[in-house]
Amino acid sequence: MVTIRVLRAGPLATLQDAGRPGVLHYGLSASGPMDRGAFHRAGVWLGGAGSTGIEFTSAGISFAVEDGSLSAAFDGGAFSLNIDGVAKYWPTRAVLKPGSKVDITPGADGNYGYVRFDREIEVTEVLGSRATSSIAGLGGWEGRALRTGDAIPFGAAIARRPSQHPRPTEVTAGPIRVIWGLHADRFDADTRQAFISRSFRVSPQLDRMGVRLGDEAGVFAHTRVLSLVSDAVVPGDIQILGDGTPIVLMRDHQPTGGYPRIATVISADLDRFAQLRPGTEVHFEPLTLAHAQEARP
Amino acid sequence: MTPLILPLGDQAMLIRFGDRLTDEANLAAIDFSRRADAAALQGVVEVVPNLVSVLLRYEPATISFERLAGEVRLLVSGEPTGQQRGREAVVRVEFDGEDLHEVVGLLHLSVDAFISAHNGLPLRVLATGFAPGFVYCGMHQDSLVVPRRRSVRRRVSAGTVLFAAGQTAITSTAIPTGWHVIGRTGFRNFDPSRLPPSDLVAGDVVRFEAT
Repeated sequence: MVTIRVLRAGPLATLQDAGRPGVLHYGLSASGPMDRGAFHRAGVWLGGAGSTGIEFTSAGISFAVEDGSLSAAFDGGAFSLNIDGVAKYWPTRAVLKPGSKVDITPGADGNYGYVRFDREIEVTEVLGSRATSSIAGLGGWEGRALRTGDAIPFGAAIARRPSQHPRPTEVTAGPIRVIWGLHADRFDADTRQAFISRSFRVSPQLDRMGVRLGDEAGVFAHTRVLSLVSDAVVPGDIQILGDGTPIVLMRDHQPTGGYPRIATVISADLDRFAQLRPGTEVHFEPLTLAHAQEARP
Repeated sequence: MTPLILPLGDQAMLIRFGDRLTDEANLAAIDFSRRADAAALQGVVEVVPNLVSVLLRYEPATISFERLAGEVRLLVSGEPTGQQRGREAVVRVEFDGEDLHEVVGLLHLSVDAFISAHNGLPLRVLATGFAPGFVYCGMHQDSLVVPRRRSVRRRVSAGTVLFAAGQTAITSTAIPTGWHVIGRTGFRNFDPSRLPPSDLVAGDVVRFEAT
């Protein structure tokens, strides 16, 4: 059986597939890749990939192929990749032979990278998906992040079309686009104006559940919103906690929220937001719903 | 009851039946979620009832927000569904939680009187979804309402029975909570190895019994 062994896992390296939508009323968010576009591109590189790949965080991951051969594709952010001692471009694809060692180390950009394979990772589906939910501790590899020593088994090879070079990642700068949120009307006009005219900063407190933002301008320093009846949450919701901290809820978000939500990051910009490193300055720009639905990443 | 129809991000709509948790708003949300499930609207990929609102996730390529809002208004104004009752479940509780004595003190009741008042009437599952399998049950009569605790417990285990704000809640996973812990149950409403993973859904009826 084709197997890879994890030699070094940065924090929060998890197995992910396209996610587990449709289970919010059971109290579970959909999970899935933090950067869906990069995850998809890795599959395009292979011309056909197993549904499940490895998502790793900025510290990277190392693994060795123990048995058999695998084709693999790497994408997302900008990492340093070394296969059997040879430096490779990023993103790329490669054929891994028995004994091959893959070493992914921090690179210039991004928080999340992906490796996908031409075989399916053999883990049990939970509620129709192999994605790891870090908030519920289920799915993926025993419901947890990968650790050194884990031996991941693979199934039969996936039928592949000729592989392609995916459209390269366009480095888009500029504001993160939002539409006004469920509770925008609970914030006064000055606060709403400051939200879109002042800048925030990605804080080091970020994970698959949410990204806390620094609010140096004090936009929400005096925000007091009475407690709300909780409603369902969607990825990208920007919630203002009781102490005024803004938090952008991500793929493993809490299923419901009772704090006010001033805005929601549009679907087209959530991948790019997920890749912003701690310390990055963020501006938010409001769009109408119609423009948000037409927007491209 | 005319609800508020709001966009939630660019792929979801929230239909809100009130700003406060009332019986009326909760029943309207549950009734609407059943209608939306039964209508199986094209382009709607998920229906999520909340305490006083319902989330519809939709595919904008299949149905626009405006068209969906029109469908929602039609569903809301349609004939009442006759309040189908949900399924009934009996949940057996050991009333020995660490906050039980504080709760009965706040209510000026003996433990026995509290248990008998608590279990006296069947409760409705008001909502699920706060955490895997978590259920809110209510509403208790006004004489059984206590506020939440001032501080949050960082972790209570699965099977904890919680009490606050006129409701009793049951955990199926370990969670942090600011509610009073009044007891424990062997009942679990979440088993990820099964589909569906939960037995109780919003609108079901729960009868509590002391073990």
